[in-house]
Amino acid sequence: MTPPKTRKSGELAFAAFLSLASLVLLYNAYAISGFEALSAPGAIPMATTLVMVITTAIIFIKTNRAKPDGETSFWVDIMPLRIAVVTLMLIGYALALKPIGFLPTSAVFLLVVIKYLSRRSWAFSIGISLLSLVIIYLVFRIVFTVLMPAGIVPEGEALAWVRTLFSGAN
Amino acid sequence: MFDSLMYFLTVWTQPELLFLVGLGTLAGIYVGAIPGLSVTMAVSILISFTFSWDVYPAISLMIGTYMGGVYGGSRTAILLNIPGAPSAIATAMDGYPMAQKGEAGVAIGVTTVMSFVGGLIGILVLAVAAPLVSDFALGFQPRDYMLLAVLGILLVGSLSGGSLLKGIFAGAFGIAIGAVGMDPLTFTERFTFDTQLMRGGVSFIAVMIGMFGVSEALHQLHHIDTPAVKQKIGRIVPSWGVVRKYLPLSMQTSTIGVVIGALPGTGGDIAALMAYDHAKRVTKNPEVPFGEGAMEGLVAPETANNAAVGGAFIPMMTLGIPGDAVTAIMIGALFIHGLNPGPMLMIDKPDMFWFIVGALSLANCFMLIFGLTGIRVFTKIVEMPRAVLIPLILLLSIVGAYAVNNSITDIYWMLGFGVFGYFMKHYDYPLGPVILGVILSRLLDDNWRRAIISERESLPRFFEGIITSPLSLTLFVAVILIFVSQTPLWGSVKSRLARKAA
Amino acid sequence: MSRNLISAIVALGLTATVAVAQDYPTKEIQGIIQWGAGGSTDTVMRAVTPGAEGVLGGSVVMQNMTGGVGAIALNYVADADADGYTVLMGAENPLLYKVMGLGDKDYSDFTPINLLARGTPILVAGPDAPFGTYPEMLAYIQEHPGEVKFGSTGPGGLPSVVTAMISSTTELDVIFVPYDGDGPALTALQGGAIDVMPAVLGASVEGIRAGTMKPLVVFDIEASAALPDVPTITSTNPEFEAFLPWGPFFGVFVKNGTPDDAVAKLSAAYAEAAQGQDFIDLMAGRGFTMMNISGDEAQAFLTKWQQNTAWLMDDAGLTKVSPADFGIARP
Repeated sequence: MTPPKTRKSGELAFAAFLSLASLVLLYNAYAISGFEALSAPGAIPMATTLVMVITTAIIFIKTNRAKPDGETSFWVDIMPLRIAVVTLMLIGYALALKPIGFLPTSAVFLLVVIKYLSRRSWAFSIGISLLSLVIIYLVFRIVFTVLMPAGIVPEGEALAWVRTLFSGAN
Repeated sequence: MFDSLMYFLTVWTQPELLFLVGLGTLAGIYVGAIPGLSVTMAVSILISFTFSWDVYPAISLMIGTYMGGVYGGSRTAILLNIPGAPSAIATAMDGYPMAQKGEAGVAIGVTTVMSFVGGLIGILVLAVAAPLVSDFALGFQPRDYMLLAVLGILLVGSLSGGSLLKGIFAGAFGIAIGAVGMDPLTFTERFTFDTQLMRGGVSFIAVMIGMFGVSEALHQLHHIDTPAVKQKIGRIVPSWGVVRKYLPLSMQTSTIGVVIGALPGTGGDIAALMAYDHAKRVTKNPEVPFGEGAMEGLVAPETANNAAVGGAFIPMMTLGIPGDAVTAIMIGALFIHGLNPGPMLMIDKPDMFWFIVGALSLANCFMLIFGLTGIRVFTKIVEMPRAVLIPLILLLSIVGAYAVNNSITDIYWMLGFGVFGYFMKHYDYPLGPVILGVILSRLLDDNWRRAIISERESLPRFFEGIITSPLSLTLFVAVILIFVSQTPLWGSVKSRLARKAA
Repeated sequence: MSRNLISAIVALGLTATVAVAQDYPTKEIQGIIQWGAGGSTDTVMRAVTPGAEGVLGGSVVMQNMTGGVGAIALNYVADADADGYTVLMGAENPLLYKVMGLGDKDYSDFTPINLLARGTPILVAGPDAPFGTYPEMLAYIQEHPGEVKFGSTGPGGLPSVVTAMISSTTELDVIFVPYDGDGPALTALQGGAIDVMPAVLGASVEGIRAGTMKPLVVFDIEASAALPDVPTITSTNPEFEAFLPWGPFFGVFVKNGTPDDAVAKLSAAYAEAAQGQDFIDLMAGRGFTMMNISGDEAQAFLTKWQQNTAWLMDDAGLTKVSPADFGIARP
């Protein structure tokens, strides 16, 4: 047994969150089919969520007993501004994807994040973002025919039109 | 015999087929390397694409893609700590630490040669013992699959790193994630909170991309200003001495790969994880500890997942039963091309069997060639500035998660698990067991229920069934032994025995 | 690369005018396949669609969307615009969603483009089963109650309907072992994990030919061309005539409200593709009966199928909600 452990900033809150979430899931698993039968659809979910509740409870108690390490601070070591900003950008991306469409959303996302992280010139950021977006578009959209949400850009029609252009020329 | 050889050589001697296998393998390596582009997806698209072709060229292209794709997953696992495919999860555990030391070239070299060895063994077993292995695989009853899943879950011990307790939590969490949605056996809703959103379940690929792609990218934002590790690209092809050293281990792990691959319902992902665990168990004194860049940790999963390819073809060719998702699609392709895959295929059309064996071995050779030649370009990727690389990884993760099911919901899941995984990583909860749990969830749950229903809900009858079947008994004993060897009790018994002996 | 970029930008600028000038289809059509890659529905759709693409002069991008017994795919298409660019490629299951409590939408929210073919149910047993015909099987179950293991694929699947037919004529005391599709269940049958499986004929025909499974009886009025020697259920038990012919089917659908022009074009394309000799051979080889119907004929088929099956399931006590609650008339 390793003597007195320390905990990072926010670790206790995370452990508490996991314990509570596990309890909610255990209740949910019970609600699936109760103790109806060994073969009930809720049997394995109940067993696993029970394991989750027990392990998270022990983890919580252990973490609670550990001393705060006094070195880490949540907003510096765990969630510094840079990571918080990128995470928010990701959430923004997810929300904008369907209404606005894949091409504009991705272009803006890449541009802003690359500019923000690299602190290089706008020309560099624009060049890199567009180039990579074109490559990703070609691979996923043209080769693998993944229909990304078109949003405000009628790229499906544009593509069909380009194709007729090429087939017409041949 | 002579006929078989002729059919085997068809693909090697016709330039068109040779080219298609090569093209497929090359494309497959990239498909496999990009998280979110899966071999399953690529082969489905190839069905429509090759619809009007003859059957030989169509199958050649698909087999190349399959072989290359299974191997390609290791690339991003080693270079970026982001497995390109589920079967490369174990590869990241020792491959990425090597890349951090600047040894990515060596890691990729060994991975490539060992994938080739694994692939070769898989193909050999397919060619020589297909009917035998398929009889064995068919004999697996629901309770055997269940025991196999339990055996898999015990791998949590190997994947946990620091805290076993947190590992067990992570594994159980993974199993619970796997249960979300409409239960496929009874259509009961589980963990859906009565929402339409949850009814379809959580895409396993979305969880994987989130936990390994996004959380890793976020994590690396901490070190955005540290310059990338310069990769030494000296000798890429490992020496014969190195290959020989790992040959005994690769034989064992390839065997695991073939058998797990041949079982309908289990594939390369489980095989690779089991092989990793096996390597950890049998390697007494690794030169470098596991998790810090042990060569054995690369050899085991990579031989196993490539051996599983040959394995997956065994039930397909002998019985018309798919060994995994890709062979399921290839069975569909054979139907479309007017063949009838089934137990009679090998009798009606022996040419097809030997043709596929030939194409697989050719693809395996192409994999070796392409694998060893393109390394320089790939390692350049890690040397890109992080400020550019990380946004690209994030965008690729999003597109990849969407592509699996054309679903925006999957993007939400992926991002959710990405951020959650980031916190787990920070507070020392291992991520590997979560994925392990998701992979094994259905195998465990479905087969437990089938097994206990078959015994009319009676536990005594269930255990009687285990004891009276040699296969079940073997698996059961293995479960007990591995379980005991992981508990603290065993450690004290062992040290006492050692003391007595001394 | 730069040339692609330029052409893409030029194309974007010109699109607005182009879109108006052209007729349907002006872009790719998305085909949502209700079941996983490699399954029967998937194989049928991927085989017939290239022919339809040729007639349409456009491309159909097929995408498997699994989960929720096909309800995920159905809801996806129902939530998309009714513009003819999102097409559902499905099987019979949605017609039972309402009575099984699996969803509140079914094919009444969709317009059938083409009902391609229907399958025939067959009862198969393991090669070592101690019975070889349907009456022998019933006699064996009578002597060994609660011992014979039947495979099943969840409520509303083909096995549950066939079992409902059987149990509405006789008592059936067996164990039902659930599988997530007839493929895995037939594998289990060959491995001895289950004894009897009601399956679609096409999925079992190769196994029967090789002797790895034993056909008991075909659930149809006439013998199947693919397996002419297997007796029909009505030859021994005429009481089944009331339920037959019955079978799962495959169809292509669009959401209600889709422009007539698009419906007409899609229907014509699939009707012609379904007449391709390769496709007909493929379907015959798998023991499917070609239907190739659309419009009112298809609608009538769907209505009748739903009435028959929903009430059959209801009489067997297998439904969650009575068909009457949804205005499904008793046939």
